[in-house]
Amino acid sequence: MSVEELVRFDGEALGHARHTVLAELTLGLQAGERVALLGPSGVGKSTLLAALRQRLGHRAAWCPQEHGLVPPLSVYHNVYMGRLERHSAFANFLNLIRPRRDAWHEIQALCGELGLEGLLKRPVAQLSGGQRQRVAIARALYQAREVFLGDEPVASIDPHQARRLLHRVQNQHTTCVIALHQRELALTHFDRVWGLRDGRLMFDTPARELTLDDLDTLYPDAHSSDPQPEPA
Amino acid sequence: MREERAPGLLAGDSLNLRLARRSLGLIALCLVLLPFADLAITTHDPWAELGRMLSGLLHPDLLATESLPHAIALTIGFALWGTLLGMLLGFPLALLFPRSRLLRGGCAFVRAIHELFWALLLLQVFGLSAVTAIAALTIPYAGIFAKVYAEILELTPRAPVDALPEGVGRLSRFVYAELPMVWSRLSSYTRYRFECAMRSSVLLGFVGLPTLGFHLESAFREGRYPEAGALLWLFYLMIASLHLWGHRRLLPWIALGSLFLLGPWPDIDGALLWRFVSVDLWPQPLLEGNWSGLWQWFSEIPDLLPAIGNTLLLGLMGTAGSLVVALLLWPLASRHFGNRPTRMAGKGVLILMRSTPELMLAFIFLLMLGPSMLPAWLALSLHNGALIAFLVARHADAIVPGSHALPASGRYAYELLPRLYGGLLALLFYRAETIIRETALLGMLGIATLGFHIDSSFAYMMFDQAFVLLLITAALNIGVDALARRYRPREIADTPGQHDRPAGEAPC
Repeated sequence: MSVEELVRFDGEALGHARHTVLAELTLGLQAGERVALLGPSGVGKSTLLAALRQRLGHRAAWCPQEHGLVPPLSVYHNVYMGRLERHSAFANFLNLIRPRRDAWHEIQALCGELGLEGLLKRPVAQLSGGQRQRVAIARALYQAREVFLGDEPVASIDPHQARRLLHRVQNQHTTCVIALHQRELALTHFDRVWGLRDGRLMFDTPARELTLDDLDTLYPDAHSSDPQPEPA
Repeated sequence: MREERAPGLLAGDSLNLRLARRSLGLIALCLVLLPFADLAITTHDPWAELGRMLSGLLHPDLLATESLPHAIALTIGFALWGTLLGMLLGFPLALLFPRSRLLRGGCAFVRAIHELFWALLLLQVFGLSAVTAIAALTIPYAGIFAKVYAEILELTPRAPVDALPEGVGRLSRFVYAELPMVWSRLSSYTRYRFECAMRSSVLLGFVGLPTLGFHLESAFREGRYPEAGALLWLFYLMIASLHLWGHRRLLPWIALGSLFLLGPWPDIDGALLWRFVSVDLWPQPLLEGNWSGLWQWFSEIPDLLPAIGNTLLLGLMGTAGSLVVALLLWPLASRHFGNRPTRMAGKGVLILMRSTPELMLAFIFLLMLGPSMLPAWLALSLHNGALIAFLVARHADAIVPGSHALPASGRYAYELLPRLYGGLLALLFYRAETIIRETALLGMLGIATLGFHIDSSFAYMMFDQAFVLLLITAALNIGVDALARRYRPREIADTPGQHDRPAGEAPC
């Protein structure tokens, strides 16, 4: 059985103009694989996701953290923006004044699934952090692409909800790369874990071969902070 | 152990010491040049005149003015249409603003000429009509909107654009991910500008357009102080109640309704207009290509250098005066000083002074003190000083003092001023451009700045001379703005409220 490889990095350096964030990265993303991306904040998870997003182009749905939303616009318009490129500028403009019927029904159904029912007309500025995060997920799902790339999409969401949302995302996308900080979810909901530390890829291992202790090695001061795992 | 010597007077390299040296330098320069300014009081008994004016303010006579509702409607109509058209022109220009140096230059030029000078110029072609009034506001406002909108758009957060899928068109990106992010800032600036337009619209009365200012000027000039007092109160009331009647949903109806009152519209003679723009405005020798004649023409402009000198001197005096007034007055409106009644009174005085346009203040002082630079100096210092003091007091209110036991003087000098001074000076340097603009304008009252010669050139139908003087005024203004920009403090110690940066408050 041959598996399609969607992206391959071969000893590459990723970063901004002059500053290398990830050095000598060797990594491959296989189709049908659910990958959790772990590492302390600032280690380069976002850089790696941005590089993946660039390589995948139209094949990837992108779910940034909540600051990618437009707070003055309604939930409906924020989700609609996931398909902004598929309509003409004129149609998009009209949609701002009067929502399209088809898009409205589709987004209503999607938001219902994500626990945002009844909020479609509300400006994102008036939502809680967790609700905004779900709007960001809804927008990525609405893009309807092959691969889901998420930068901590379930960061400010309680564990039970987070599990439900990951499930929903993975139902629609057989391939995904999601940055997380809940280590337990990485082991229970993903096929593979990429662990980053100190500007390098520490491991690229199937999730079933890892334990929580292995994941703890990514975080320099993990032994001192939150020793108790979240209830499964 | 070596003891460190105590530093000398104002020696040191901290930010506030540098700012203090800079501001003392400004005040010293002003004092050195002060002997060159004409500060004579020529009226017989200024205090009696002031008393009559105050009694007029206390016993206003609202019924003395004929066709008052019409004047009010015209004032609002001009302001509204001037702002609206300025916005419609300025917004597309703002999109091109960062890309075209020519456009930036053009906008700086139209901004640098005061609304009233535009009115004087347009008056020659369109007469005392609504076209003159509205265009006099629209032209400079388009330049201001272009600049300020462009500055606001430049600060659009990038994250929403970065989050968009690939291949979204420029226009869709703009209306979904950029415009909504800055919409509230754009609209609040536009509202602020409308308030400025209301003041300018009143001032248009000073050149003869039938707004509130027309009646105000004649009432003051003819000593009918009860009538003038009533008009002044009415003016304050209109500005203060702006948030009541200036509602988003109401304004379009007011705009449409005012259209019926703005007429009669002038017949525009195309040939005459063309002649004015292509011939009348330019020096005859220039049109003939006679260069030595042009030099001759230039040297015949009366008192050009003294006028430029007076304009710069008065601008400097106004800036230094504003600094002193602001330093003295801001505690009046701050929660750190006094009690509730004194603060209410202080705030009231500051709001009155900042809502009264310089020209009007100068006009009132002129009637009191007689024609010299003194009334203009007082007007510039009080208006701008009060405006800055008000904003500084707002910043001060956001500061939580560390120790409550300090006496008021200690709180002022040790707790608050060190944190506010950078912001205060930045505001002052922002205002410098406005101050020099107003300085030139105050010449229209008979003070020997450039505005005086512009006004009289128009009066003698010497349009070429008036136009060149306008160009000189604009160049002076742009130069002073560049200078102020250079010396403006950039690193501000810790001023709270970065969002209400003075940028929006700049030229009004």
